[in-house]
Amino acid sequence: MGVINDNISRRKFLSSSFMALGLGFGLGMFGLRFLQFLSPKTKTDRFEEILVGSISDISDSDATVMEIAGSKIVLLKTDTGLVAFSRKCTDLGCLVSWDKAKEQFICPCHQGIYDRNGKNIAGPPPRPLDRFQVVQKGENVYVKVKTA
Amino acid sequence: METLIEQTAEKSLKDKIIDLIQKEVPDYMNNFFYCMGATPLILFLVAAATGILMTFYYIPYPEKAYESVMAITSEIYLGWFIRGLHKVSITMMIFTLSLHLVRVFVTRAYKTHGELKWLIGTMLFFTTLAMGFTGYSLVYDQVSYWGMTVVMNMAEEMPLFGPPLAYLLRGGAEVSELTLLRLYDLHTKLLPVLLILLIGGHIIAITVLGFAKVEGSEGKHLFYPEHAMKVGLVAIGLLILMINLVMIFPPTIGQMANPSEVASNVAPPWYFSAVYKWITIAPRQPALFALLFFSAIFVLYPYIDRFLTERGFNMGRINIVLGTVAVAIFSMLTIWNVLF
Ligand code: FES
Repeated sequence: MGVINDNISRRKFLSSSFMALGLGFGLGMFGLRFLQFLSPKTKTDRFEEILVGSISDISDSDATVMEIAGSKIVLLKTDTGLVAFSRKCTDLGCLVSWDKAKEQFICPCHQGIYDRNGKNIAGPPPRPLDRFQVVQKGENVYVKVKTA
Repeated sequence: METLIEQTAEKSLKDKIIDLIQKEVPDYMNNFFYCMGATPLILFLVAAATGILMTFYYIPYPEKAYESVMAITSEIYLGWFIRGLHKVSITMMIFTLSLHLVRVFVTRAYKTHGELKWLIGTMLFFTTLAMGFTGYSLVYDQVSYWGMTVVMNMAEEMPLFGPPLAYLLRGGAEVSELTLLRLYDLHTKLLPVLLILLIGGHIIAITVLGFAKVEGSEGKHLFYPEHAMKVGLVAIGLLILMINLVMIFPPTIGQMANPSEVASNVAPPWYFSAVYKWITIAPRQPALFALLFFSAIFVLYPYIDRFLTERGFNMGRINIVLGTVAVAIFSMLTIWNVLF
C-alpha cells in the first residue's frame, strides 16, 4: 500500500517539476527574446574629421560652443593649445557651459566645476572633461568626432 | 449540506457581496495613524482616473509632448484641473505612503504575520516613486529632460545590471525620442499594472495573513459597515482637500526641454529633493552606493530586526531612534534643497 502511494506521489512530483522546468524555460526564452527586441542595435562607431573653422576665427579668450554630428563640443585655447572639450559633464551627463568671468566650466546639475584646462576641481565630477582630437591642417581646424 | 446551500441561495446579492468583503478589523484602526493604508489607495484611484483622461490628449513625442501638456494646462477645458488633480494625488500618495511606512516601521508592525506584507509594501513604494519620476519626465520641460538624462546615467552607474538596464530604458546610448516613448509606456502601462498587482498582493496578504498585532489593543469591529464608513469619510475628506489644493496650487510647466542647454535650476519635485541634494553634496560613487545600501536595508529590515532581536537588542527603542533620524535627515536635505 505504502509503496504504491509513494510511486504515485513520486510520479506526481516528477511530472510537475518537469512541467515547471519546461514552463520556466519556455517563459525565460520568451522574456529573453522580448528584451532583445527592446534593445536597439548598436551602431559601429566611425570617427570622422570635421572642419570647424579656421584658426584665426576661433576666439583667443572666449570659448566657442558648437554641435557637430550630434556631439556637443566647446573649443577653447588652453595652456596647451587649442582643445575641443566634450560638453558632457563627466558626472551624470548634463552639459557644462563656460563662465568667462571665472574662467571655469560650470555644470548646473550638481554644481560640478572644471578649470580652464578641463580639470574637475569641485563638485561630484569624477574626472576631467573628455576631449576630442583636434587636427590642424594649415589654417583649417578639424575635430575628430563620432559619426553615426 | 443541502440546507447550507439553500441558505446561501436565499441570500440577497447585497449580502453575498458583503460576505465577500466582510472581515474583522482590529480596533486600533480607528486611529488615523493606523489606517493610512487605505488613503494611498483612494489617491491612486484618483491618479489613475485623471491619468487615463490625459492620455486622450498627450502625445509622447519630443516637442509635441511639451505642446500637448501645455494645451492640457492652458487650452483644454478643465485641463489644468485634471492635470492638477493628477499631480496632487500622486504627491499626496507619496506623502501618505511615507507616513504609513514610518508608522509601520516605528511600531514594528512588520513583525506580525510574516514579512511578506512589508516586502510587497516596499516594492509598492518604489514603484510609486518610479511613477513619479516617469510622470514628470513626460512633461518634457527642462527639468524632465535633464532629470531623465541624469537618472539614466545614475542607473548606468549601478553595478552589474546597471548598464543593460540604462540601455534598455533609454532605447540606446543616448536620451532620444525612444526614451520618452519608453517612459510613457512605463508610466501608462507597465508600472500601473505592476502597481495594481502589488496593491492587490498587499491587500490579499493582509486578508490572508491578518492584521498586525498592536499591544494594548485587543478589540475588533466589523469591516462592513463600521470600517467601510470610516474609509468613505476619509475619501470624502481627501477629495475636498485635493480639490482645494489644486485650486490653490494650479499646475505649472517649465521651459521646453533644450538638449543643448541646461537650465540654471533643474531641481526635481519635492519627493526627490532629498536624494537630489544628497547626490549633489556627496562624491559620486559613495553617494550612489549609499543609496543602494540604504534601499537594501530598508527592504530587508524585518529580517535585520529578527536577527538583532535574537541577539538581545531592544529593537523597539532602536526603531524609534532610527525612524526619527531618517525622517530628520530626509526633511533636512529637502528643506536645504528647497531653500538654497
Ligand atoms: S551632471 Fe554635472 S555635476 Fe552632476
